[in-house]
Amino acid sequence: MLDFFTIFSKGGIVLWCFQGAGVTESFTGPVNALIRSVILQERSGNNSYTHEALSLKYKLDNEFELVFVVGFQKILTLTYVDKLINDVQLHFRDRYKNELDIKGSLKLLNSNFEFEDDFSMLLREAEDSSKARSPASMRTFNESLKSQKTVKSMIETKGGDKIKEQGGKKNKNAKKEAEPVKVDPGKTTSASQKPVENGSQGLTPEEVMQKNREEFFRKRMGGNVEKPSKSPKPQKPKEKQRRVWDMGGSKAEDLDYSHPNDNGTQKAGYQGPDAHIESGMQLNPMKGDLLSVDYEYSEEEDVGEEEEEEEEEQERMEITNTKRVPKKGGGFGGMFGMLKGLVGAKSLSREDMEPVLDKMRDHLIAKNVAAEISTQLCDSVAKKLEGKVMGTFTTVASTVKQALQESLVQILQPKRRVDILRDVLDARSQRRPFIVTFCGVNGVGKSTNLAKISFWLIENGFTVLIAACDTFRAGAVEQLRTHQRRLNSLHPPEQHGGRPMVQLYEKGYGKDAAGIAMEAIAYARNQAFDVVLVDTAGRMQDNAPLMTALAKLIAVNMPDLVLFVGEALVGNEAVDQLVKFNQALADHSMSDKPRLIDGIVLTKFDTIDDKVGAAISMTYITGQPIVFVGTGQTYNDLRSLNARAVVSALMKA
Amino acid sequence: MEEEKEDGTGSPFGPYLESLRRELENQDPRFTIALVVALAVVVITCVFLKYFLTSKTVRTAVLLVGLCDAGKTLLFARLLSGKFKRTQTSITDSSAPYKAKSDKASTWTLIDLPGHDSLRSQYMEKFKSTARAIVFVVDSAIFQKEVRDVAEFLYFLLTDAVISRNVPTVLVACNKQDITMAKSAKLIQQQLEKEMNTLRMTRSAALSSQDGSVGGSVFLGKKGKDFEFSQLPMKVEFLECSARGNKGEDGDANIESLEKSLARL
Repeated sequence: MLDFFTIFSKGGIVLWCFQGAGVTESFTGPVNALIRSVILQERSGNNSYTHEALSLKYKLDNEFELVFVVGFQKILTLTYVDKLINDVQLHFRDRYKNELDIKGSLKLLNSNFEFEDDFSMLLREAEDSSKARSPASMRTFNESLKSQKTVKSMIETKGGDKIKEQGGKKNKNAKKEAEPVKVDPGKTTSASQKPVENGSQGLTPEEVMQKNREEFFRKRMGGNVEKPSKSPKPQKPKEKQRRVWDMGGSKAEDLDYSHPNDNGTQKAGYQGPDAHIESGMQLNPMKGDLLSVDYEYSEEEDVGEEEEEEEEEQERMEITNTKRVPKKGGGFGGMFGMLKGLVGAKSLSREDMEPVLDKMRDHLIAKNVAAEISTQLCDSVAKKLEGKVMGTFTTVASTVKQALQESLVQILQPKRRVDILRDVLDARSQRRPFIVTFCGVNGVGKSTNLAKISFWLIENGFTVLIAACDTFRAGAVEQLRTHQRRLNSLHPPEQHGGRPMVQLYEKGYGKDAAGIAMEAIAYARNQAFDVVLVDTAGRMQDNAPLMTALAKLIAVNMPDLVLFVGEALVGNEAVDQLVKFNQALADHSMSDKPRLIDGIVLTKFDTIDDKVGAAISMTYITGQPIVFVGTGQTYNDLRSLNARAVVSALMKA
Repeated sequence: MEEEKEDGTGSPFGPYLESLRRELENQDPRFTIALVVALAVVVITCVFLKYFLTSKTVRTAVLLVGLCDAGKTLLFARLLSGKFKRTQTSITDSSAPYKAKSDKASTWTLIDLPGHDSLRSQYMEKFKSTARAIVFVVDSAIFQKEVRDVAEFLYFLLTDAVISRNVPTVLVACNKQDITMAKSAKLIQQQLEKEMNTLRMTRSAALSSQDGSVGGSVFLGKKGKDFEFSQLPMKVEFLECSARGNKGEDGDANIESLEKSLARL
């Protein structure tokens, strides 16, 4: 059933592998994909991954630096896989402890791991255990309770309502014994103990007694509503009875909450058009001080607040209790325990790491990393460190911090750095313009950073065409024209062979952005511009028609670089923005390889001191690098990202 | 009185020295011994500290670096054990002591670093100061598509401050020569030189980092002339090898040239 099972070291050498019968493809591809997309991108929170037709499950062994991966067809649902992996891991470790223990890879290379027999035994055990818990087979008709009821009992008579209910009740009680039913004890005991034969028409004296008992209990319990029986009831008596609500009053006056107090504040705005005041309402003249908030509302609010406060206090108590417990465990024994924790080889367990990870997660959230991403990051770090043996004189906190720091640096450098100048030179040699598109929500700094980037490009000797595809916002075109004029005055055409370095392609307001972009690119190709910068209108990520329009612009024009502009001040919103933008781009493109966001521009970086978490959120979600960092509003305020500086600012207390 | 007169004409520290001498003479000899021992300990500690702080880390490592899927881990396995091993993408480094086959070669540590983009830089940071030689493994079969990435990595390697200071030997191993489409070492060298020529211009124009540090401060080669590897202060050698070997999984690898170069270190 399994396609393959591999055990390999974290350094990359495959120690043992097993390929299922009839499987010919090599598993190297899928396993590499698993490593690259899950483990290296710190998404190892959940331990399964799908790659084309295969579903992969994996487990990391951090003590001996091994990875166990099992792969099977996606359409199969094998329940024994988790157990199998755990068993194999324990078995393998026990058996090869000596070879694996030594530092250095020579032993790994030279030893031969003959694990086939053990593996087949474990596989057989796992398969058997899963078969043992087969799903419950359906009962045959003879076994069911329905066969034990007589036909007569199911005939509807005048009092048939009650008989049917009883039968239904008995069946329900027999079948649903596991369900928690907050029913009075009398009902269940009497119903289950009663013999199944339900014989004659009419009610037997016991049934009458039982019925009366029910009525009694029902009245005692009050709002204890009986479960609606699933069998269809016979016709109810003819007239429809008026429904009586328990909590509701019976008079209309009870519903009139209008009070002389609050009418004045609400009605004041509407006085203008009709000064006609209804008789029922009284207006309070607003003389003197403003009255406080309405008594009833304030009472409810107070009660609500009190309840909330109580809950918070309870939570706080619980938290302090759990915090106090480990401290209480200290004392004299704890002193030596602390020293013991410092020296000697100790392997990390989840419980040891929990408090440190919680603190780290809160710290990250305080530094403006999105909440779900902090959680996922901490989970992934926990997975990476579980079972790892710490060296001497290292505390749990320092190990966890170190691991977190490494994973943060890893996240901030996802791919090869985007070297725009190199790519522009490439495009120039192919005689086509290099097209960059800027997209993002409203007010993040697209146009400002577009101007900064064009300044940088013309400083390096490239000619730039700005395409004004923001045809919605008032003043967008004029803003770009002002930038163009300023940039041209800084780099006058006389210095560069009589040709203006920056030109603006605009068609006014209200036109279709995708069409303008296409014309601008054709113009740039004719006039041999090096770079085309396309400025789009800001749009909210859940505005479907605008997202469709953006996706169309990108799909039709096929830019070389799609940059998402995001501000560093954004918090949890970053996750939503990026996910929805990527989703829209993927959904609305016609080809099967849609153009997604290729890079991120992080703007307004000078406004945050060290709360640099937005950088992490954005790169984690998309897996794309941060290409530019905007640090101000003049042309010189454009930087590239320094991952180490950002991470040290993030980890600083 | 006479003593006081004499002291008055002597140095200003006279009275203090006199009192000190008198104190020492009055005390037990143990005090003097203790004082001498304490002074000696202080002096020795100072000497040791100076020695440890300024001692250079001994460079005995040979690093195997390269892009992802270049064949570093297999090369590592072949050099150490000669056997073929299946490999996956490395997540951490592997290290082992290595002794070349020739007689007068010394042992050093062979370290295989992961090639994945996100891990590359932090492992380089960790190991670059101990590098005595760097084996840069290149996938010769798909070199044409990866030219820019290879050149960028090599550029960062060569312009790194620590590496340009220590000047380790750089061996560019053009791996996967058993595939028919593999490019020769000479061709790879020419292409890399062209690419590095462009790169050094674009990289020096790159944006500075947000905290002000400017990347790419070292300018490779000579200005005004086209870039060539011979212009570099470190020795850069190109050679061909094949970790998989011509006869498939069971045959030997074709790594004699690599072993010979390693033996010459």
